[in-house]
Amino acid sequence: MNRHYFKTIFALARAYTRRFFRDKVGLFFTFLFPLLFLFVFGYLNSGNTDINFDVAVLNESDTSFATEFEKQLNDSETFTVTDDTDFTAATERMGRGELDSIVKLPEGFGTPNAQGQPSGEVVVYYSEASPQSGQTVAAVLNQTLDQINQSLGQSAPPLSVTQESTATADLSAFDYVFAGLLGFTILSLGIFGLANQLPAEKKTGALRRLRAAPVTSGQIIFANMLYYMLVGIISIVLMFLVATFVFDFTMRGDWLLLFGYIVISIVLMFGFGLAIGGWAKNETQSAALTQLVALPMMFLSGVFFPRFLMPEWLQGITTFFPLTPIVDGLRLIMTESYSLFELWPQIGLIAVWMVVIYVIAIRVFRWE
Amino acid sequence: MGTIISVKKLVKRYGDKTTVDGISFSVKEGEVFGILGPNGAGKTTTLEMIEALRPIDGGEVMLDGLDVRKRPAQVKQIIGIQLQATAFFDKLTLREQLRMFNDLYGANSNPDELLAEVQLTDKAKSYVENLSGGQRQRFSIAAALVNNPRVLFLDEPTTGLDPQARRNLWDLIQQIKKKGITVVLTTHYMDEAELLCDRIAIMDNGKIVTINTPKNLIKELIGRGFKKPQHVEQANLEDVFIDLTGKDLRE
Repeated sequence: MNRHYFKTIFALARAYTRRFFRDKVGLFFTFLFPLLFLFVFGYLNSGNTDINFDVAVLNESDTSFATEFEKQLNDSETFTVTDDTDFTAATERMGRGELDSIVKLPEGFGTPNAQGQPSGEVVVYYSEASPQSGQTVAAVLNQTLDQINQSLGQSAPPLSVTQESTATADLSAFDYVFAGLLGFTILSLGIFGLANQLPAEKKTGALRRLRAAPVTSGQIIFANMLYYMLVGIISIVLMFLVATFVFDFTMRGDWLLLFGYIVISIVLMFGFGLAIGGWAKNETQSAALTQLVALPMMFLSGVFFPRFLMPEWLQGITTFFPLTPIVDGLRLIMTESYSLFELWPQIGLIAVWMVVIYVIAIRVFRWE
Repeated sequence: MGTIISVKKLVKRYGDKTTVDGISFSVKEGEVFGILGPNGAGKTTTLEMIEALRPIDGGEVMLDGLDVRKRPAQVKQIIGIQLQATAFFDKLTLREQLRMFNDLYGANSNPDELLAEVQLTDKAKSYVENLSGGQRQRFSIAAALVNNPRVLFLDEPTTGLDPQARRNLWDLIQQIKKKGITVVLTTHYMDEAELLCDRIAIMDNGKIVTINTPKNLIKELIGRGFKKPQHVEQANLEDVFIDLTGKDLRE
């Protein structure tokens, strides 16, 4: 590996990039397509105008205060209350979207405290699929309780609400969707891009012409990786701009870690494109194989549908899909400010897939 | 004149089919060597094995003292290749393509000089996909000359070209020969072989039938008592075509 080895790589990467920016149709699909998705899914998941909430009230307290509180909720116009006694059943209904949240008055809620005033904590459970409604329910309940607290003349409110989610607190629906859309962009760029390009170059003979020069397959692969990395990062930066300025996306994690994570994610998905494109003799073969590989990832890795809505056995399988740790990791960094160390399960899985797919890619690569 | 390529008992098999069947020949430095034969004779396969583009199943090829099988990268560094189905990247100008090939070889030839040599100066900013067939072949040769090669391989360089473009390409090949570059070409046009080649090998069914200079081959044939039915015509249809349309390139 001397200087000339890398000079060849840079020369090829420069040629690929130059051609890419001259291809108007390609530019459109590469950059605008993910943004279109972003707009569509972004608007679907923001601006929730629904002010009526379906809630289940689980009253486990036998105090008269709790009974009164439950009655107030029943009378409220904001809430449509269904009486549930079983938490598991209520959770399932919430999973099906029949309920926005579950309000639990725990045992002892409303018991007079040392000052002789009713105290306790209302717990609001909400689904990760519609976190906004859960938050709103909590906010409305907070207001109600504040009023009661104030009427009791308390400075330190004995009655309060806490929100609990199985995963994340303070997570907006857009933030959830955004991580998935980033995953989608990385997937489509890596797999669809290269899996089409290599067979096309085989067919026209452009790859053969390169091979007539002293160029190795490794150099061509590295050059393409540089090129796809550049295009991918531009595409993702555009997505972040739209997310920030149009959908009020707020980044909670470390930007540098996110950048590194996006880079390894692109490298992994590039490996899949390389394996398919390197193996396929023509676009017909690659198109079929691309669908076979990409579609399950697209629909089962939490890009468009949250994985927790799937049956458990399916969740168990899809946990190990290569796109799953990418989407999960991006979400954990962006919305839960996970550190590098906390991400070890995701990074570990990505590393395993990377080894697997690159070994396959190098084995099956053919020049024509 | 020394020997620059020596091929010994070269073999290529695909399954049970032997495409190249133990052929041996050598090419002298500075000559234009032609490999002739009908389609499927094994010309291209032979060429590609010498160019280190196709694995050699048997025998040996030495190019300028290098064993092609053992040192393919070094061989590619000193040869220029024009492939039969030539394709270049689209959306790159000719000048950019030549710069890229310069970098691939670690060479530093001047793209504009190369384009001038093949009469494509005014196309420096065009994309390959907008060139005519003849222009594309000439560009292909310019790209093959980037590394100032010792040997230039041309695989059916004039197939599919109009008579003007063919004549123009013949001039170019003769020009390249004058620079001292050895040229190995395949063709199935006999007039082309007769005009350009110092020596020719005729291949059929993966074997070399004969190797000699065009003149000697004709002499041998006549010596065997061959007589072509005599025609009194002083010109053929191609002469008419060239006379009516001129020798100037149409592009």
